[in-house]
Amino acid sequence: MKFYKDHYDVIVIGGALAGLSSALMLAEKGKDVLVLERHNLPGGIATSFVRGGIEIEASLHEMMSIGPKGNRLKVGKFLEDMGVDVEWLKVPEAYHASIPGLEVTLHPGLETFAKEVDAAVPGTYEKVLKLLNLCHTVFDSVNELSIHPMSKVKMLLKHEAFVKTAGYSTQEVIDSFDLPQKAQDLLAPYWIYVGSGFRELPFTIFAVLMADYVGYGSYIPRKFSHEMSLKMAERAEAMGVQIEYRQHVEKILVKNGRVYGVRTQRGDEIHADYVISAPYPNKVYTSMIEPKSEVPEGAIKMVNGRRLSLAAFSVIMILDKTAEELGIRDYSIFHGDTMDTDLLYRDLAGLGPYRYLTCICHNLANPDATPEGTCSFSITTLPRVDGWQTVSADDYDRVKHEVASQMIDMMNKYLGFDLREHILECVIETPMTIAHYTGMWNGCIYGYAHTMEDHIVARLQTAEEEKFIEGLEFAGAHQISGDGMGPAVTNGRKAAKNVLDDMKKREAAK
Amino acid sequence: MKIKGFLKDVTGASRVTKARLGAFAAASKQPVTGDPIGEVAQTWHPGSMELKVVDIRPACKTAKTVRFVRTDGKKLPPFYAGQFISLGFLLDGKLICRPYSISSAPFEARQDDSFVEITVRRSKGDGLIADYINDELKIGDTLTGTMGLGQFYFEPLRDAKHIVALAGGVGITPFASMAKEIAHGTLDADLTILYGSVTSDDIVLKDELDAIRSDRVRIVHVLSGDEPGWTGERGFLTAELIKKYSREDNTYFICGPQVMYRFLREEIVKLDVPRRRIRFEVFGQAKDVAALPGYPAEMKDKTFALTVVRGVQEDVIPARADESLVTACERAGIVLLTDCRSGECGFCRTKVLKGSYFVSPENDGRRAADKDFDYVHACATYPLSDMTIKIPIV
Repeated sequence: MKFYKDHYDVIVIGGALAGLSSALMLAEKGKDVLVLERHNLPGGIATSFVRGGIEIEASLHEMMSIGPKGNRLKVGKFLEDMGVDVEWLKVPEAYHASIPGLEVTLHPGLETFAKEVDAAVPGTYEKVLKLLNLCHTVFDSVNELSIHPMSKVKMLLKHEAFVKTAGYSTQEVIDSFDLPQKAQDLLAPYWIYVGSGFRELPFTIFAVLMADYVGYGSYIPRKFSHEMSLKMAERAEAMGVQIEYRQHVEKILVKNGRVYGVRTQRGDEIHADYVISAPYPNKVYTSMIEPKSEVPEGAIKMVNGRRLSLAAFSVIMILDKTAEELGIRDYSIFHGDTMDTDLLYRDLAGLGPYRYLTCICHNLANPDATPEGTCSFSITTLPRVDGWQTVSADDYDRVKHEVASQMIDMMNKYLGFDLREHILECVIETPMTIAHYTGMWNGCIYGYAHTMEDHIVARLQTAEEEKFIEGLEFAGAHQISGDGMGPAVTNGRKAAKNVLDDMKKREAAK
Repeated sequence: MKIKGFLKDVTGASRVTKARLGAFAAASKQPVTGDPIGEVAQTWHPGSMELKVVDIRPACKTAKTVRFVRTDGKKLPPFYAGQFISLGFLLDGKLICRPYSISSAPFEARQDDSFVEITVRRSKGDGLIADYINDELKIGDTLTGTMGLGQFYFEPLRDAKHIVALAGGVGITPFASMAKEIAHGTLDADLTILYGSVTSDDIVLKDELDAIRSDRVRIVHVLSGDEPGWTGERGFLTAELIKKYSREDNTYFICGPQVMYRFLREEIVKLDVPRRRIRFEVFGQAKDVAALPGYPAEMKDKTFALTVVRGVQEDVIPARADESLVTACERAGIVLLTDCRSGECGFCRTKVLKGSYFVSPENDGRRAADKDFDYVHACATYPLSDMTIKIPIV
């Protein structure tokens, strides 16, 4: 029996958002693409599951880079251009910040947001708006430069704000605005979506984060992130992509510095000119490249020189009353007992109690998200892998329940009732859960930490030098744009573009 | 543009690039392969394991308990009391999967002498594998197994500390696991088992359960048959009986034959307990699909051509309208792996490319978007025309 063609143009390992974006873009250019996904459905963590007859979102809080209909941002536009027709629902607010001394709900729109911050911390409107406008200017530059690279001189002329802030951390730039601490605290909650403390986080990343989320608001698919993943997969297949589920790629085959295929766990050796890998470079360079001698020392030094970013821990509940009945008013609540992001980041290296939690109630953006009389409520923290790496298989269940319990207790205090008295269904997702379903290296969903030593501007500049094996590209949170479902799409497109560029180059050389 | 009050230099980009290259230059050249988080995931969910039968003993006159160990010498994975194992039997060269609740306790899988047990009753003619286990399986036989599966277990964040187990027949098995785990001190809950059988001869695992009765584990046998001399509870698991053995706050766990589910769905309403306190084990494969509401009865005796796509491979096999797509594949020797066989877990998620089909409404655990795009759970889906489906390559 023969399950595969003799040869493909490109094999994509991993049918999550990045890999599917690569596949869509390559198929659109007429390339012959095979996607091998280890799970039995697409999307990776962009998925849903059913418990007790109720469908539950697995991971998505809010998608960035979608934008309203008629004025889509880059991810929304890409999906539309590819014919992926997701039914997007707008998330009503930016977030409710429940942080020391403040209970404030902020809404998207730079001016609206600045006004609401000003209402909570009077006299800050001008400065906050100026900071947000700076974010927006940098955001525009990043978007333009990622498509049209230009000379440094030209860049300085056309993208001065971007160039001048590139060398500074978020905290350094915020400090220069001389904002009161409380206003700074109100600007900080989204930090967890990029996962580095402000003394480490490049301002460039903060700028993109704020301009995108605060400027344009965020969106979720009506039928959970599975709707988005499935529609991408369906569209890819309609465009001729072969997707095979439950195929576990063990080896990437390399000869004379160039990939020529993969081998799966069941023993299929499949040939292709290019391989796009969702598995982390750490895993690829240490255990997937065959033979090992094809791995250059530089590749090992590169992965060893980077720091893994965040994993995820969520307690996802279906409650037996409506959000209204329970007094839950906000789609997203960011609740912390400090807003010192560097301190919070250090604490994430442990096993709790975690001091900064993100809660989502899907019903407040999607009233039909759960059956009548119920609502969903999830509590999430995004721990670093360090602490969880010390948990043994025997201890795992105890630690998991202890942490979940602490998180519920912390939110009970805020909510003023005991969540435990309303739990219809309850699922605890841990870094191990993610490792189990997706195979992601150490359960890390955020790729490499955004730091001043691993800066997006530097990532862009050195990308060429960090290609160690010809024909091998990567698509996932570990790539230039970093973590998040929106950036996953961008990372996937980038990998496809690299493949297409290389194809052209090789064609021209013939 | 001019940024007031913000005078930053223009060499930032070069500086961060230098920092990046510096960090790489200083990094170790030794490969670091450690993925301890992935290893824990792998220990809990090793995937399909090869198992060997090491013991078979009677669990009553009509049921047997079978003990398995791993052939690779490793311990069985951790699981929660109440979960099931999916076993793969190779019969006449064809792989057939069946789920069984695990009747041994989690601690018995984690100890040095690690094992897992199932307890299976001989069927009344409709259980090919149940009879195979009772009549033909022998010590030394090997087969494959995946565990721990399913959501039917005590969750301390959610459930009341007092579990009232409503068991019927061989549905006692998940509660046997819970009872042993509580007796061992590794599950912090109280358990009252209301166990319905026809006669005392039908009581599965009676001796084992009687041996671990305690303040925390109560077992109440309820006989529905006409048995002279029986001094215990009689009749069915009625609301009245359930109330008698309930405490102030209880979570009801229900496992038994489908007729019992249908009966208890009515009884449980009378108890007036919150929905979150009631947990049914999965329903099991529909016994008589033609009798289900919505099934076009005129179809039930038809046989259709089922085209099965795996990669670029296509095979055409016969598929009966009253048997699931999984059964059709199993008969034809095409491997379509299943876990729960109740339409719930989605492990046999399959794309329908062409044709019409019926999904058992009692077993429809699909995602909303999957329904929109004709994905089905093959164990709960029945052909109503010639069909083409795409399944994973195994």
